[in-house]
Amino acid sequence: MSSTAFRVPIWIPLAFVAPALLGLVVFRLAPIMIAIIGGFTGTSLRGETRFVGLRNFADLVDDASFWSSIEVTLLFNLLINPFQIICALGLAMLVLRPTRGVAFFRAAYLLPMTVSIALTSVIWAILLEPSVGPVNGLLRALGLPPQRFFRSESQALITLILVATWKGVGYWMIFLLAGLLAIPKELHEAAAIDGATAWQRFWRITLPLMRRPLAFVLVADTAINFLLFAPVYIITHGGPAGSTALLMFEAYQAAFALLNHGRSLAISTVILIIIAIIAIAELRLFRPPDEDSA
Amino acid sequence: MIAAPSFLRVGLRYGALVFVATLLLLPIYWLIMSSFRPGGDIFRYATDVGWRTLVPQTLTLDHYRTMLAGDMPRAVFNSAFIAIVTVTIGTFMNSLAGFAFAVFEFPFKRLLFAFVLLSFMMPFESIVIPLYTLIRTLEWTNSYAALILPELANGLVIFLFRQFFLGIPREIYEAARVDGASWWTIFLRLTMPLSGPTIATASLMQFIHQWDAFFWPLVAASTPELVVVQVAIARNMTLETANWGALFASASTAVLLAMIPFLLLQRFYIRTVTVSTDK
Repeated sequence: MSSTAFRVPIWIPLAFVAPALLGLVVFRLAPIMIAIIGGFTGTSLRGETRFVGLRNFADLVDDASFWSSIEVTLLFNLLINPFQIICALGLAMLVLRPTRGVAFFRAAYLLPMTVSIALTSVIWAILLEPSVGPVNGLLRALGLPPQRFFRSESQALITLILVATWKGVGYWMIFLLAGLLAIPKELHEAAAIDGATAWQRFWRITLPLMRRPLAFVLVADTAINFLLFAPVYIITHGGPAGSTALLMFEAYQAAFALLNHGRSLAISTVILIIIAIIAIAELRLFRPPDEDSA
Repeated sequence: MIAAPSFLRVGLRYGALVFVATLLLLPIYWLIMSSFRPGGDIFRYATDVGWRTLVPQTLTLDHYRTMLAGDMPRAVFNSAFIAIVTVTIGTFMNSLAGFAFAVFEFPFKRLLFAFVLLSFMMPFESIVIPLYTLIRTLEWTNSYAALILPELANGLVIFLFRQFFLGIPREIYEAARVDGASWWTIFLRLTMPLSGPTIATASLMQFIHQWDAFFWPLVAASTPELVVVQVAIARNMTLETANWGALFASASTAVLLAMIPFLLLQRFYIRTVTVSTDK
């Protein structure tokens, strides 16, 4: 990279990168600093901001609702990330072979990703409404018992996972499909001649060669799912009984319902630390392939 | 497959393809179809499931008329204005930075580029609350500036432009320099006209990001004058006296306005995104 780049007076590259870098520093880096510093401040009754040390974090550690939110967020991520990736890989393999009509299905599977997460929430809140929603209408027509979905403490989180997967699966399918298309056909053909079954070829050829795209999708998907907010805000408000109180919603509640800014920034700091760890993992995947011995 | 696929196998495969397509598309179809149905029919055939659930007997534009009398026109204007300004300034600003990272050697280049990469690997949502603190301190809440400025610089777009500019042979730049062109002229007259697909992808990304924005506008700009599409619809749903017909009409409008540019540009989008992230 450096061998082909031009050496020019410093002010030229500076002028080119300055506007965008200024934007990233003010609107990305500065908020991170604010979260970290703000986590150590509190607001007195008179509205003055002052330094309170580790008290916001100590309060969080003692707070059962914070731990229950951490638990819900971890459970949610442990379930949704593998589930979305398996679904996305399944879909990618389903539309891999260029048979008749496959272009239509590829495009069709992408459509839900164009529906915003807020609209996804609105649409599925209506579809899954227990008394008038069409999904329960369909269950009744099939002679099955209607479900309570988002209104049930035991079903709400699973329902949230299914709804988020409906929106997300096509997007992740794109990356996995690109990875599958890059696997040379000859590898599969040679293995098949040697008598390998489809199952063996999947485990011995496809999966090892898909390590990189799968790892990329895993970290990128995890980052997004850790920050899921709109469906919780729009549909469940964290309920029933805290069963969908994801961390991002807790941070929002602390800031805008409880007006406890220190607590909200302390939760934001926790979120930022988790996301930074994920981002660093992701950054390693962006190294040139030659450093990555497969 | 070496063995000729059997009839059963092909049947199963198409069965699976159609089943998944139904799961993914039926909700969108039901939403849009219901928005043209008389109000009484929407939930009547949702609870009494039959062929009428999917085929409307009477079509009406009433819900769209009601929608036009509400806050939706204002919201569509705001979202479109915010998205277009973001795309225009953002594409320019980010392509400049992408050009510098691809073409020039300068101090701290690797460090600054790592910062650019990190900025897009930490999704925007992760900084919404501290960003709100910042905007409030600057007294920018409830302004277009609050909705536009934070979204202009975009690490992913810088990255996509850099990848594209890296692919242009060095000899082309050298020839232009020998002809006496300034770097500014080279950027504007030589490389930008070549980067159509990258511009299309970057514009689509920033447009969709702003059109879909929910969390940040909810927090940063809550006045009725600045309401954006996603917030308007979510708010109308939680009203006690929700007008379901108008809600279906506004949701359909918002879905279609995002889907159409995507369908037109999806080829560029998919190629650029997958090729870049594969490197």
